[in-house]
Amino acid sequence: MAKARSGNSEGRFDVLWPLSRRAVTGARAAGRLPDLNDKVVCELWDVIFRGETIYPLVREHIKARFPRVKFVGYEEFGNFHGAREHQVTATIPEKLRAHKADAVIVGIGA
Amino acid sequence: MVEKLGIPTASIIGSGFLKQAEVITKGLGLPLAIGVYPGAPMVDSEETLRRKVEEDLAPGLLRGLTGESPREAAVEAEPEPGEVIFSGTYDEVQEHFLRKLWTDGLPVVPPTRERVDTFLKFTGREPEEVLRVIPQEGREASIHSIAVTGVLAGCRPEYMPVLVAIVEAMCDPLYRVEDSGSTPGWEPVVIVNGPIVKQLDFNSGQGMMRVGRQANTSIGRFVRMYLRNICGFRIPPGAGDKGSIGQSFLVAMAEDEDSAREMGWPTYAQDRGFRPGENVVTVHSVVAITSPIYSGGDRAEQHVQQWADVIGGSFTYWAHTGFKTGLWSPLIVAGPSIAKVIAGEWTKDQVRQYLYDNLKVTAARTTHHARMTSTPTFSLENLVRDGILPPSYAASSDPQRLLNVIIKPEMVEILVAGDPGRNQSRAYMSNHVQGPPTSRRIELPRDWEQRLARK
Repeated sequence: MAKARSGNSEGRFDVLWPLSRRAVTGARAAGRLPDLNDKVVCELWDVIFRGETIYPLVREHIKARFPRVKFVGYEEFGNFHGAREHQVTATIPEKLRAHKADAVIVGIGA
Repeated sequence: MVEKLGIPTASIIGSGFLKQAEVITKGLGLPLAIGVYPGAPMVDSEETLRRKVEEDLAPGLLRGLTGESPREAAVEAEPEPGEVIFSGTYDEVQEHFLRKLWTDGLPVVPPTRERVDTFLKFTGREPEEVLRVIPQEGREASIHSIAVTGVLAGCRPEYMPVLVAIVEAMCDPLYRVEDSGSTPGWEPVVIVNGPIVKQLDFNSGQGMMRVGRQANTSIGRFVRMYLRNICGFRIPPGAGDKGSIGQSFLVAMAEDEDSAREMGWPTYAQDRGFRPGENVVTVHSVVAITSPIYSGGDRAEQHVQQWADVIGGSFTYWAHTGFKTGLWSPLIVAGPSIAKVIAGEWTKDQVRQYLYDNLKVTAARTTHHARMTSTPTFSLENLVRDGILPPSYAASSDPQRLLNVIIKPEMVEILVAGDPGRNQSRAYMSNHVQGPPTSRRIELPRDWEQRLARK
């Protein structure tokens, strides 16, 4: 990057911050679950990037460690990134409550 | 969202998207637990994918659910809007903005208070008014931010009402500005209608889409700058914009309304439900552009057949994304001389119907395209079952059956503009539900005419 010239006769500019306020209130993450046995893990999938292969492998891996974990498949929740993104997203909290979700896996951002 | 419900959540993220995830984490104000998939799952063999899931992704997800809670994202204290953050010469200001990633790589107009205030005088809205909090970085789309960005991009103060309407359109949740950084690298184009086209000296004629006319050019640059600075879509060394290759900003379009009226066609803004004479902006995603379409003859079909041929050749590949979402909107910029021939015989709806009837793709081909892109489970039958596509898309199980590339005739958009002295048109493809055409009326200050006259 070129070094700025200084001391020229162009005058100086007092410039304003070009961004805008972040309207973000910090939140803490939910407490984790050291033992997933007898817990319900719900899956949310945006129906892209080979989730149909990845999710079963993830289930297999988690079950090997916690055999009594229960999964609720992504089919129960619909595609939260597709044609009906807003409508599907709006239904997710109620569906998670109905399934008594203890934890969630969401994907796939790739 | 789920984590905010008090449910521990772990997200699957490809390694190339971690910086974007970091941006989103800050925008949410919420720490995320992430399982990382190394590389791109779409190009890995079954064996490699299994290994990566077992060795990297699944253990990461498990840690995310059972281990320590993810740490809160560090959020730096920031200045307040309107605060002077730097004093220096022109060159020093440019260097400072480059270092902070606040420019598009070109020199910016220094946003001094005086310049910003001049812009604010061209709107009756309060600078503090917030149109929406943009999801990616969680920043406020305020009137003040529009003025500052307008200054940076080289706009004139009297463009301010247009800029406000543009950001209002982009803030419509149906526009999905939060998807502006998706990998296809789509770019918004602004379309301007109404008397303001002439008042602000937009180019609607020859060379309309070239950089070179201040209104078209600086407003196009404004949109990209706003996406960068306020919406949080930056390419490396920044983050947030994952356009894999991307494209440059598009200068604004304007309709040649005199020609449209003369030939008896409604204007583009009228097609979108506005009255003749209203000032309107429409923001429309563009993911692909055809080659120039030359057509000859004195009959409508000769020209529209040529449009169908070139649009079919250019856009059919990407139509599967429209099929997945039930929406895509090809925009045809019809050269005035061509539009005049067509309008002599056909209404715009007849043009739309012809394109609907004549653009076809086989089920096998579009399924292949979808599966190559991102969706190995793509199924036309499922899309019909879910009500996203009309029943005709699953009328048989023959993979060679022909499907309409255009889902509904009314999705075709037509704008009259370009060189009246040549027989050329061009078409622009939207990126399905990301950036669908979204319009807003331009609100002018009460003493608009006098203000313009004083300029």
